[in-house]
Amino acid sequence: MEKHTVTVISSETATSDHQIKLPLFWKRIFQQRVLVFMSIPFVLWAFVFKYVPLWGWTMAFQNYKPARSFSEQEWVGWKYFKFLFQDETFYRVLRNTIVMSSIKLVLGFVTAISLAILLNELKNILFKRIVQTVSYLPHFISWVVASSIVLTVLSPDGIVNLLLMNLHIIDQPVLWLAKGEYFWGILGLTEVWKDVGWNTIIYLAAITTIDPSQYEAAEIDGANRFQRIRHITLPGLKPVFIILLIMSMGNILESGFEPQYLLGNGMNVDYSENLDIFVLKYGMAMGNYSLGTAAGMFKTVVSFIFLFSANFIAKKMGESRLF
Amino acid sequence: MGKMKTTRLGYSSRSDKMFDICNIIMMICLMIVTLYPFINMIAVSFNDANDAIRGGIYIWPRVWTLENYRYIFGEASIYHSTAISALRTIIGTVISVLCTAMLAYTIGRQDYVLRKFVTMFFVFTMYFSGGLIPVYLLIRNLDLINSFWVYIIPGVIGVFNMIVIRSFIEGLPEGILESARIDGAGEFTTFVRIVLPLTIPALATVSLFVAVAQWNSWFDVFLYNSSNLKLSTLQYELMKILQTSTTSSTQSAGDVYAQSGNITIVTPTSIRATMTIIASVPILVVYPFLQKFIVQGMTVGGVKG
Amino acid sequence: MFGKKVLALGLVAIIMAAVALSGCSNNNKENTSSSPVESTDATNDPVTFNYFSFGAPKKAILASETDIGKELQQQTNVDWRMEYLVGDGDTKVGVMIASGDYPDIIDSSGQMAKLMDAGAFIELDDLIEQYGPNIKRVYGPYLDKFRQKDGKIYFFPYTANIGYLSEPNFQTGFYIQRSVLEEFNYPEITTLDEYFDIIKQYKDRYPQVDGKDTIGFATLAGEPSSFFTLQNPAMHLAGYPNDGSVMVDMETHEAKLVAGSDYQKQWIKKLSEVNAQGLFDPESFTMNRDQYLAKLTSGRVLGYFSYSWQVGEATDNLKKAGIDEKRYVAMPIVFDKSIKDQYIDPPGFVNNYGVGISVKAKDPVRIIKYFDNLLKEENQILVQWGIKDKTYSVDENGRFYYQNDEQRRYHEEVELSHSFGFAYFNYSWPRYGNNSVLADGNAYGPGNQPEVATFGYTDGDKKLLEAYGVKTFSELYSNPDERPWSPAWSISLEQGSPEQIFITRSDDLQKKYLPKMILESPNTFESTWNEYFGKLNSLDNKQTYEDIITQAVKDRVAGEW
Repeated sequence: MEKHTVTVISSETATSDHQIKLPLFWKRIFQQRVLVFMSIPFVLWAFVFKYVPLWGWTMAFQNYKPARSFSEQEWVGWKYFKFLFQDETFYRVLRNTIVMSSIKLVLGFVTAISLAILLNELKNILFKRIVQTVSYLPHFISWVVASSIVLTVLSPDGIVNLLLMNLHIIDQPVLWLAKGEYFWGILGLTEVWKDVGWNTIIYLAAITTIDPSQYEAAEIDGANRFQRIRHITLPGLKPVFIILLIMSMGNILESGFEPQYLLGNGMNVDYSENLDIFVLKYGMAMGNYSLGTAAGMFKTVVSFIFLFSANFIAKKMGESRLF
Repeated sequence: MGKMKTTRLGYSSRSDKMFDICNIIMMICLMIVTLYPFINMIAVSFNDANDAIRGGIYIWPRVWTLENYRYIFGEASIYHSTAISALRTIIGTVISVLCTAMLAYTIGRQDYVLRKFVTMFFVFTMYFSGGLIPVYLLIRNLDLINSFWVYIIPGVIGVFNMIVIRSFIEGLPEGILESARIDGAGEFTTFVRIVLPLTIPALATVSLFVAVAQWNSWFDVFLYNSSNLKLSTLQYELMKILQTSTTSSTQSAGDVYAQSGNITIVTPTSIRATMTIIASVPILVVYPFLQKFIVQGMTVGGVKG
Repeated sequence: MFGKKVLALGLVAIIMAAVALSGCSNNNKENTSSSPVESTDATNDPVTFNYFSFGAPKKAILASETDIGKELQQQTNVDWRMEYLVGDGDTKVGVMIASGDYPDIIDSSGQMAKLMDAGAFIELDDLIEQYGPNIKRVYGPYLDKFRQKDGKIYFFPYTANIGYLSEPNFQTGFYIQRSVLEEFNYPEITTLDEYFDIIKQYKDRYPQVDGKDTIGFATLAGEPSSFFTLQNPAMHLAGYPNDGSVMVDMETHEAKLVAGSDYQKQWIKKLSEVNAQGLFDPESFTMNRDQYLAKLTSGRVLGYFSYSWQVGEATDNLKKAGIDEKRYVAMPIVFDKSIKDQYIDPPGFVNNYGVGISVKAKDPVRIIKYFDNLLKEENQILVQWGIKDKTYSVDENGRFYYQNDEQRRYHEEVELSHSFGFAYFNYSWPRYGNNSVLADGNAYGPGNQPEVATFGYTDGDKKLLEAYGVKTFSELYSNPDERPWSPAWSISLEQGSPEQIFITRSDDLQKKYLPKMILESPNTFESTWNEYFGKLNSLDNKQTYEDIITQAVKDRVAGEW
């Protein structure tokens, strides 16, 4: 707390003191008691619901059996971490996880922001609303149903093969899901299709905060469409975008479970199997809760590294940051 | 609005027109692709169950029937669980959005001493979990099992949502909060009378996120309230039907053998489609309603600013 | 100001709603836990216990809402709140064990090892001794097969056969479209080569069906959970029944992995050749079940391998469509004529699935009495056949049969079988094994009664059976040999043990390599096989796995289960 930086905005604390003396700290707590009352109950809530269950991390070092009490558990040290890190498939699975979540991240951001901008450029309000509403429909389809649709579309006599054959791009139907190297692309596009409309909503909300008079002024200055997008809309979206990006960086090892599981098969397993599937197979399915906990701890460590790095870079670049 | 339109057309109208046409074409393509799954579900849901096994139904039913809907609406549990779903969605959304916004306001205040501590304390929780069993035991010790509140309390604060609202608060015109306080308004009054109205687009967005999550949630029902039919939700009832058609991940030849003595019940695809339609239509209606606030909310605030 | 008032009002409303709700949920809780705790032998008060099943999902129900449950309630005054697993079983069992919140009785399905590990069940020996004359009659001969290591009984398995009668309409294995058989005048097909030859000939004559290419052979190996559909044919072709991942030698009782065996090589190699001829549908490795069924009902597929329960809806759909030549019949195909087919499972005992009384049961005595009552012959008839003249009829010779379609529908249609209660009571309870024979000579399960089996035969069925000179579909198959260890897949491995990890790894390896070998050119088959074989052999604990199964098989043969 002592290293707390004080921003100059506030009128009461115009002092740019970097080292606040303890009495001053308590004095300010008292001054801001209403803010404290507005936040501390939730801190307690988070402590109870999020931090207390962290005792479960001890499971990673135990041969955990749910029926035993804590004192009866058998301690095994780093056994499950070793199991993870010494498994050759683990690294393949880790690679797949990182690649899939990176694709999802990049494609997700690019498509959502593009769609938000294009929607913003539509002049007919009714049309705009219809497009918006329709584009978010696939978000409400479960993965079971969505994967069925994807499998049908990509099957040898599905629409993709028919189209490509009619265009003479291919002369034989391609079994898309049997080729591992296509899997990441297919998954990426599927996720975009399913969630682009949904992901756009937050940017649409951000666009509303841009002062309309800016557009008017730009027009008077003779700025064209693209210049307006580049100099007004995009900068207007930047703060929200940066914050969301930093948060997503922390989720680099969360690539999802259902789509990979439902679209995955033996032919593409080298590309489709991710950390969550691996842990399910060798952990939960064998009544082994410890392995999943160990993997979770590993994920947390990686998340924190990415999160802090991203936040640090944002800070260095003078952008908005998470904390 | 009309005035702006004419001025816009006035400049570089040719490239503008090209842009508009391309844009509209792209949007129509997007709509076709994103509308398809729903049309498909609707078509399958009106198709005869036995016939639907043959597949190949795209945008129009092959053998018309209302039987699937009659079957599902004939399930008594549907009505009660829909009411519970609606209740948890409404109560959960209102409580969560208000609490999250209040917390977001405190950490959006640049001068708040505990700002950094509170922010980090919450942000971290996004990236770790104690695991299923510890959380379950906690919920159990808090006596929340078999209670409606297990749908609300563990989700009071959405950290992602909190950050979203905070970034909107930080984006408010400078000095707006200060001037309120100089006018003598207390923190809570500032929050209610200035911050809430000015962040309506963010609140509407976040409400949508929370409402959809609440409506679609079934895992908490499964874990905590599965033995209490009175607290079952529509999505959970839907899961019950869906599950019969998706085999569990760990099924071995052995499992299957032991079940083969049973009648194996597998839900026809048409029932699955019908359930999807019934479960998603109510929540789909929410968006066009909130859309108004997401798109227009700030114009009012902007004037004020 | 106005906004604030609205807000305040809203908050008050919510809090009031909250209080009201929590009150009502609390009441619920009290109601559910108000069963009499102190009930003793003498009392026969109405009571409701909790039943939880990890088996096939069904709608949660009060047993007395079904006809069967109602009848049993009238006899015993016991009702059941029956709940079925929805969602992931591993998760559910984990929280159930960790919290110790068990229902009164649990149907384990595949979760037995975890439940036993956790000590979830009470021992039943004394209770059976004291209250279970019928339990002793039914389970008596089998008790040693499911005693646990400590010599105690904890649960009731579902396969205690009294007598033995096999299923008349057994169908599993290599299915072939009836039009193919008709085209070549119902030839005798025994070997895999003959099977694919006839498919090839037919496909050459009819390369297209309804404007789409004819598919020679397909299977369901795209979903990870259905991959065994590609693994298991190797053992069936070699003349072994389904013993899971191993084949057990009849003489030495040595268990050998199917993976990497010569039989697997022969089977996969054949598919690779068949694929080169354009007979194999590569989509077999990407399809999900819906697409598979759609394909089978399209009339394009000439042959496929499946277990009958995997394709039930497709079979029904084709039967209802009424076009007999588009329907299929499964044949007991083997590698060569000297092999005796063993598709029909031998009489066996599955000792790792069962229903037990939990340590939290409020009144074990009452429950064991209910079980015992359930095992009376008349009640076993009730749960299988139902109520006389309503769901079955009895002819002048005392044989049970379906007099009309109405009666058949009670047993076979989902909705009716649920509301009557067959779906809830005919399996996961203490019961006779599926292949049992009733004291009066009728089959225990309607499916095993010849009169019922032939009830639904179409003219096409009769024609086909006549052409092969048999009366029922099962007669196409050889009778199963006696295998006293059967089935080997019910040998439970320790949770998370090296053996269990080995078998998961070996499955992973097969999922990756088998499709590859089939779809690649036959020229590279040998080299890919060698690569696969090398990797399989380099997995840890392969030998340990085989040794453990072999030992368990030998123990079982010696009568130690």
